[in-house]
Amino acid sequence: MKHPVPAHPIRLIPGLAASHLRHDWILTLCLVVALAAVIAPLLVLMGLKSGTIETLRERLVEDPVYREIRPAHTREFPSEWFEQVARWPGVDFLTPTILPLSSVLQVVHPQTGRSELFDLIPTGPGDPLLLENGARIPGDGQLVLSAEAARRMGVSAGDALQVRVTRTRGTRTEEARETFQVLSVLDARAGSLPRVYAPLDLVVDVEAYKEGYGAPDRGWAGDTPEPFLSFDGAILLLEEPLDPIARTGLIINTGFARLADADRQQSQQRLGVPVPESLTVYDVFTPGSAVTVSNLRAIEQKLRGREAVVLPYVDALPLVDDQGRKMVLAGLSLSPRQARLLQAPVPPWGGFTGRAAPAGELTSVLVPKDHSSDSVQVVSDGANTLTLHLDVVGAGDWQHPVVPVELLGVLRTGTQRALTYRADTGSFEMARGGYRGFRLYAQSIDDVPALAARLQEQGLEFVAQVEAIERIQVLDEGLGRLFWLIALLGISGGTAVLVASLYAAVERLRRDLGVLRLLGLARWHVFFFPVAQGVMIAALGLLAALGGYASLAWAINRTFASELAPGERFCTLPGEQILIAIAATLALAVLASLVAAWRATRIDPAEAIREH
Amino acid sequence: MSTPMIRITGLGKDRSQGGSVFTLEVPQFSVEPGELVAVVGASGCGKSTLLDILALVMAPTRAEDFGFRAGEADSEHDIRRLWRLGDEASLAALRRDYLGYVLQTGGLLPFLSVRENIELSARIRGCGPAGQRLYVLAERLGLEGCLDRMPGALSVGQRQRVAIARALVHAPRLVLADEPTAAVDKARARAVMADLEALARDEGVAVVLVTHDVDLVSGHADRTYTFDVVQTSENVTRSTCYPLQQGVAA
Repeated sequence: MKHPVPAHPIRLIPGLAASHLRHDWILTLCLVVALAAVIAPLLVLMGLKSGTIETLRERLVEDPVYREIRPAHTREFPSEWFEQVARWPGVDFLTPTILPLSSVLQVVHPQTGRSELFDLIPTGPGDPLLLENGARIPGDGQLVLSAEAARRMGVSAGDALQVRVTRTRGTRTEEARETFQVLSVLDARAGSLPRVYAPLDLVVDVEAYKEGYGAPDRGWAGDTPEPFLSFDGAILLLEEPLDPIARTGLIINTGFARLADADRQQSQQRLGVPVPESLTVYDVFTPGSAVTVSNLRAIEQKLRGREAVVLPYVDALPLVDDQGRKMVLAGLSLSPRQARLLQAPVPPWGGFTGRAAPAGELTSVLVPKDHSSDSVQVVSDGANTLTLHLDVVGAGDWQHPVVPVELLGVLRTGTQRALTYRADTGSFEMARGGYRGFRLYAQSIDDVPALAARLQEQGLEFVAQVEAIERIQVLDEGLGRLFWLIALLGISGGTAVLVASLYAAVERLRRDLGVLRLLGLARWHVFFFPVAQGVMIAALGLLAALGGYASLAWAINRTFASELAPGERFCTLPGEQILIAIAATLALAVLASLVAAWRATRIDPAEAIREH
Repeated sequence: MSTPMIRITGLGKDRSQGGSVFTLEVPQFSVEPGELVAVVGASGCGKSTLLDILALVMAPTRAEDFGFRAGEADSEHDIRRLWRLGDEASLAALRRDYLGYVLQTGGLLPFLSVRENIELSARIRGCGPAGQRLYVLAERLGLEGCLDRMPGALSVGQRQRVAIARALVHAPRLVLADEPTAAVDKARARAVMADLEALARDEGVAVVLVTHDVDLVSGHADRTYTFDVVQTSENVTRSTCYPLQQGVAA
């Protein structure tokens, strides 16, 4: 007779194993309880570890303060630096900041007139300090206040606030005013200082205004960023020599320190034209210091009434031509009167104006006769490199190319302060003072140590909560190690219990397993009998342990509820860890059953017959 | 003449225990389909060893021929070859599909109910739940009332009848019974014996019955084998299995 369905005796094994466990239920219960007694404390330990660490981490993660990195000292940061760093992995938000003193702002309540000085902090789209503290990012005409600032001013979101920026120019005090809308007020968590958060361009305008510049877009009056002129000294030409008393009197209160007889040869080199023998030549200067336009005006004032000419000069500018050859330019600006006295032609740009304007005329040049091109390229290697194209406006009997002395004055200033040259208008501007700091937020607290290390490589000192973060990481690691140590102990015990009892069960079942073999089960079928039992006992033990864990975790979280924020748990296991625990326990159970399983395959079916 | 179900020629089994050697020789042994064959002998004659070999759980030390044929239409399995190959799985499959066992005290699994015990051989064979057949067998053996009880709650005689039911439920071709009546009194033994014979005859199943009680089988067995035990030396015992003539007591 052929059997109606294919024989799969292996499928009977789990049922038989379960029947046996049910029959020997007292022994099974003991085993399950023993296993649960091992697994439940491990689960609780694991839950406490992940719960406390998660709570600590969450508290750090939730507060963007812990993700902030800011420099410890002010230092100039070029714009390229910001572009570069913003692309580093792990950087969430980066904004430049300015000098702390430049960012103090007077804030006035439009109704009560209450007035306070607050620090102005730049912000921008994506600023986590604002976004994660209940605020929106301010746009044009909008501000965000810290909780303290709002409290002191007595305003809330939606109110209007007037901002006043003051500066002192000379003896005058000037003030710019603008009214803003308070967009949001930050949570108190964001910081206890009174602060105003505004888009970067307002912060930059405030700083510029304080430095004396205007902000035309806001209607704030002030200087254009025209560079001032500076010189090494001035050549003084007089028809009559000065007596010793007049020599001393001439320079008092002018800012000049010395008046010396000048060398005619050197003077010709400085001016580009020979000095007539009829004139006495003096050199006025201050060793180690620059001569300003006001110095020149002061000495001219003193010379009023005499037939005299004051011509500023600049020595030794680091100039090269387009081939990189060193270049000498003579600087000469003459009014018709001065030209007459000097017996020299009036240059097309005329006399000395004392300003770096008008734009365009500064970049004119008179060239020696042999010069063929209609422009001269000059590269000035100052605080930053300027490349100028000078327009040839005439040729003459010059030894060196001659330019307006104002140009040399600008270039000399350019050796100390950064200038920009706009080729389209031919004008010069003082370069804006670079940014003096930054506010950087990492994407997560785990990114902070790496970003900090990278900034450190650049020699930057900074302030970050790296330590708080590293403390948690160390704690996590320590608790992890402790957990594994205890787990190892528990797991060894649990495995030993399982190995011994499964083995003992096989020994007790020798006859029954022999009967099963006799009835037609192969060796490899009975192999799975202890394996199935191991898995079942482990599963029951796990179930009991999970129940124990759940109630204990509930009790722990309840006990510490007062110290926890809503949603925080001291003892909690993420789903994946529970799955890992289940998988690990079942795998261990299978491993523990292997000895018993091997033992079961050694049972001879003849033993079942040979029973007595 | 029909083809024998079991055909053994020149089989021998040596067993040594504590320095003494026991040798069983089976020059000729066969079981025809549907036959009741009795193997009778005193204890220590090797009848249990022979049963182990017939049950395909013990390998013979030597054999000229050892064939097993499940039915007329089936080809013969060369048991000698399977043992030589160590093909344990095939031997287990033969046990599962064609053999049934009645052990001395039943050999029931204590953790299964009577019903589950009886069904076990059918389920191992893959016939599915025995259903109707199980009830027919249980009824004939007087077990209807105790199908849901555990073996531990049965009398020895009941257990033996459960064992018979289990040995037959999956429709085997050959039932091996090892002293099935050893644990019961004479009257009960006769009843068990009668049940076994009646069922086997009805089902056309061959039975090999091992017993020390020659009276029990006389008149039932179609063929009887017995043993000639000779102690050849202090440590060597030789037992030879030979067929007994009909109606002659050992």
